[in-house]
Amino acid sequence: MHVLKRYLLRWESVLVLLLIAEIAIFGRINPRFLNTRVLLYSVNDFVCVSIISLFMAFVVITGGIDISGGSIIGLTSVVVGVLWKQAGLDIVSASFAGLATGALCGAFNGFLVAFAGVQAMVVTLGGMMFFSGLALVLVGVSGVSAFEGISGFPDGFMEIAGGDLWGVPNPVLIFAALFAVACVLLHCTNYGRRVFLVGINPNAARYSGLGVRSVVMSTYVLSGLAASIAGIVLTSYLGGARSDLGAELTLPIVTAVVLGGVSITGGRGTVVGVAIAGVVVGLLRFGLQMAGVSSQYITVGTGMLLVVSAAVRGLAFRVSLLPRRSGGGDNIKGGGARRG
Amino acid sequence: MLPSFRMKREFNALLFAVLLFVGIGSVNPVFLTVRNIALTLQGSVMYIFLAAGMTFVILTGDIDVSVGAVLGMSAAVAATLVRDGYPLWAVVGGALLVGGGTGLLNGVGVTFLRIPAIVMTLGTMGILRGAMFIYTDGKWVENLPDFFKQACQICVYGINLFVLAAVVVVFLMQLYLTTARRGKYFAAVGDNLDGAVLVGVPVVRIRIAAFVVSGLCSALAGLVYTSQIGFVGNVAGNGTEMTAIAACVIGGVSLAGGTGSVAGALFGAVIMNTINSALVFLKVPAYWNNTISGLLLLTMVLADSLLHRYLEEKARRKRLNARFARAAERRACDDARA
Amino acid sequence: MVEQNGPAPLVEVEGMVKSFGENAVLRDVSLALRRSDVMAVVGGNGAGKSTLMKILSGIYTPDKGSIRIEGREVSLHTPSAAHAMGVYLVPQEPLLFPNMTVEENLSLGLDESRADVRRRAVALIKRLDWPLSMSRQANSLSIAEQQLVEILRGLLRSAKVLILDEPTSSLTFAEIQSLFKLIKELRAEGVGIFYITHRLDEVFEIATHVAILRDGRVTLEGPVGDFTRELLLQGLLPSESRKGSAAARTKTLHRNAPDAKPALVLDRVSGYGFRDISLSVYPGEVLGIAGVVGAGRTELAEAVFGIGKLVGGRVLLEGADITGCGVRGSIRKGLNYIPEDRRRNGLFGAASVRANMTSAVLDTLGRVFLPVFRERKLTSKYIEEFSINTTGQEQSLGALSGGNQQKVIISRILATNPKVLILDEPTRGIDAGARGDVYRIIDALKAEGLAVLLVSSDMEEILALSDRVVTMYNGTINREFGPGEIALDGLMAASFGVC
Repeated sequence: MHVLKRYLLRWESVLVLLLIAEIAIFGRINPRFLNTRVLLYSVNDFVCVSIISLFMAFVVITGGIDISGGSIIGLTSVVVGVLWKQAGLDIVSASFAGLATGALCGAFNGFLVAFAGVQAMVVTLGGMMFFSGLALVLVGVSGVSAFEGISGFPDGFMEIAGGDLWGVPNPVLIFAALFAVACVLLHCTNYGRRVFLVGINPNAARYSGLGVRSVVMSTYVLSGLAASIAGIVLTSYLGGARSDLGAELTLPIVTAVVLGGVSITGGRGTVVGVAIAGVVVGLLRFGLQMAGVSSQYITVGTGMLLVVSAAVRGLAFRVSLLPRRSGGGDNIKGGGARRG
Repeated sequence: MLPSFRMKREFNALLFAVLLFVGIGSVNPVFLTVRNIALTLQGSVMYIFLAAGMTFVILTGDIDVSVGAVLGMSAAVAATLVRDGYPLWAVVGGALLVGGGTGLLNGVGVTFLRIPAIVMTLGTMGILRGAMFIYTDGKWVENLPDFFKQACQICVYGINLFVLAAVVVVFLMQLYLTTARRGKYFAAVGDNLDGAVLVGVPVVRIRIAAFVVSGLCSALAGLVYTSQIGFVGNVAGNGTEMTAIAACVIGGVSLAGGTGSVAGALFGAVIMNTINSALVFLKVPAYWNNTISGLLLLTMVLADSLLHRYLEEKARRKRLNARFARAAERRACDDARA
Repeated sequence: MVEQNGPAPLVEVEGMVKSFGENAVLRDVSLALRRSDVMAVVGGNGAGKSTLMKILSGIYTPDKGSIRIEGREVSLHTPSAAHAMGVYLVPQEPLLFPNMTVEENLSLGLDESRADVRRRAVALIKRLDWPLSMSRQANSLSIAEQQLVEILRGLLRSAKVLILDEPTSSLTFAEIQSLFKLIKELRAEGVGIFYITHRLDEVFEIATHVAILRDGRVTLEGPVGDFTRELLLQGLLPSESRKGSAAARTKTLHRNAPDAKPALVLDRVSGYGFRDISLSVYPGEVLGIAGVVGAGRTELAEAVFGIGKLVGGRVLLEGADITGCGVRGSIRKGLNYIPEDRRRNGLFGAASVRANMTSAVLDTLGRVFLPVFRERKLTSKYIEEFSINTTGQEQSLGALSGGNQQKVIISRILATNPKVLILDEPTRGIDAGARGDVYRIIDALKAEGLAVLLVSSDMEEILALSDRVVTMYNGTINREFGPGEIALDGLMAASFGVC
């Protein structure tokens, strides 16, 4: 994949430049921005988006899409909260149950996409409604006020987002660890190679005996698991379990993935790119806040960033040195993305 | 020339809607009072417009998740204009401009820039949501003139004006899509793109037109929303895009493109909205709403997909086996001749 | 070439040249079709028939050559332009709108009102005496009926020239008779028809003229009455020079030990598109499966490999029953398959040469982590052994020529250490040099004791490589050729259904 890497490294270089430019511009507007401590702690805000996009990249590389991440955050949060507070489970077990929830949601999505052949866009759309619905039901049935949520978590739990190790906030460490895992998994294992091959040409993957369906389903499980990790971190950060956590995160997640160089039609992308893009997107939000700009410009900015990056990538790919991709089947794609 | 119900799906959707009403009514008869049915229908109007517009886009094989944001933005624009005393034509025009403009932008992005529809409309959704906030300065748009707020209560021969308008618009759309020459082009593009090119359909123009229609319909939905609710809050329209897509799917519009009708979408919209209020009447806590809607959507889509695959495989096998029938018949013919 | 007596021919094609990349499909084709003619266009795979017709219907543009319609030179850049000139292609696979009715399919794209179209269509159907209902949905029609609808589309556009691309490939006998009746009626109205086929029987039954395309050139042309079946077959056979070079290749013939056990046995295997196939392949031999498109060979090969279902019969690999094992099982047990459609089912175009080569053996080279070192070793070995022309292991596969791409895929398959190998059209679309290399590879495999099943529509290839041959026609085996019996004319005849 050397030529591929060489090309993508160019894209990642663009992202790094973008990042540097961002830091420079925002630092100019508000010098506090350049304070390392401030920067590090700002990560808390967008670490969730970054964590999920790391593994959503796997899904998109196989040619699918997963917009249910935000709902899984909320569901996980509520599961942990309810199990701990109402059912009396200890916080560690409750947290693991939360993780299991994410994996199960992912398996649910993945099964429908891979084995039942339903379009990814629709499955995760329905899944999004379903999971957020389950979160609401859980809250309602357990008698918790939806508005207040569940709070008062034990200190150990609060440390997840609140604590730090040698001056680096825990969420950053968590992100770094997951970044390493995703990187190794996607680029250095047989599994990762299969993910790419399935995305490049699902038919040829089938003829090579690569087990296309289980590969596809597993990517959704990873994505779901990542969402539940993000959910636990977010719950710890806010100190409360609420069913609507993560509700508005679909847009930033997709933006981070697309901006990070992952092709929506599948087969291309790197974890490094997505990670840098996640930081770019997150810093955009944080920097705008520091610059005193209303937070609503952030959504506008993210939306424009998504559209522009998709357009630029599309054009760049067409005039790039890369030869035309052959193959690249249409089997498992997000609805509406089939003309990408 | 009447739209025929030969498509089983629309009929199923209508049947489901009727059964839904009857079912809920049997548990709680209050639901079936004329007044309540009327209220339910009025509440569905917004979703009817959204789903009808969305149908055009899905028919051509694309998708549009920006409809909720368009609704919100056009509602904000309309509310602001009407509050500030602009004439009605300007108010409606402003809303339609927002919708049509967004649709055009989406269409161009998807066709000329080759951005996948999901990405493009997700982007415009973000842009419009933020733009709406900025436009309203984060404040609710209130103090709308009475005539506007009461427009949703005007009755024509006893039928609510908005409901009537929705039905008429959907009827005209259905007529157009099924009988007009160019109306068929939308489904053709989604049904078989190569076939459409072969017979000379202007594919690019049709796809852009679909997005524009979707945008305009979302704007209409925004106007309805503003009049019915009486003010425009910050999160107007949020989440309605998902309901619109679900309504279409339930109404028989296949996400693969080429199949479906606005009539079905209308029934789907009524069903989706009814589930909301139904829960109240069934004394089911409102928090079940999303779960039920999500499950309904997933079930319909799963059934649709499995059926589709089964039929395709069956056709393929039939085609391959035609060889033997041919050989056998030839042998029979030769024997007969001998 | 054009006779000056009588009206100008409906369609005249002169000096047509068309290449796709380095692959020259049409080298110099000239044909003329007059009113009321039915010209049968016959040729093997890759001969250029479909390409020529696609040029005539505006789907491709030729590199060189001219098209004249009724004497006037035209350029047909789009299908609409071709329609405007009265040329309509009825594709082999109908491109109808599955979710629309027959009526909608017919009227879509036409300028007249629906009522007018309906009226004309109904009149046409009545005249042709077809049991076709206007209100039926296209996806409920049989293939024959779909093809009829496609033909109607052409007629409604007042087509003067109708191109039928293998129209009978999916039709039953009775439906074919209906079609022929229609063709006779169309002739009576002056419509000219190009009829692409490889059924020689049909040529004599329905055509007035015949043209044989071979390797991008017309080798035979004229009124049907001037030819016999044998003469037609001659036109399909290679020219003397090529024949010579094929024979010049010394083939290492395989001699079975008296008690040798077959490596692969197909025992009355049936599936969708093929029926009752029984054959055996021994280690160290090449069994060729000849036939034309539609014979069912690829369906057979894929089903045996594990793609697609087997409805009946057994597959035995070295005595062990592997029926229904699936792709992974087949590969693990020692059976592998090189796909016919390389672009769709074989290439990971955007991936590197290295990734392509190891795609089937990832698990055997390393457990969890990418066995990069062993990958590199494997890849270099095959690049060298097969002289694969590439700038390096990391080059993207899409950048290689067809021949080198095929070599990479062959390497991939060989890396799995198969005992039985099924090759499907292994040299389609690759240049002569690479073809020779592939033949040498196959010879080497034979020497190592591999059993090879060779599916090919290239008769010379079958001749040059096979120790034994079976031909398939319409889904069944219709003739077998033992070691001394393989001859080009026999192969050709059997493949075209003439036994």
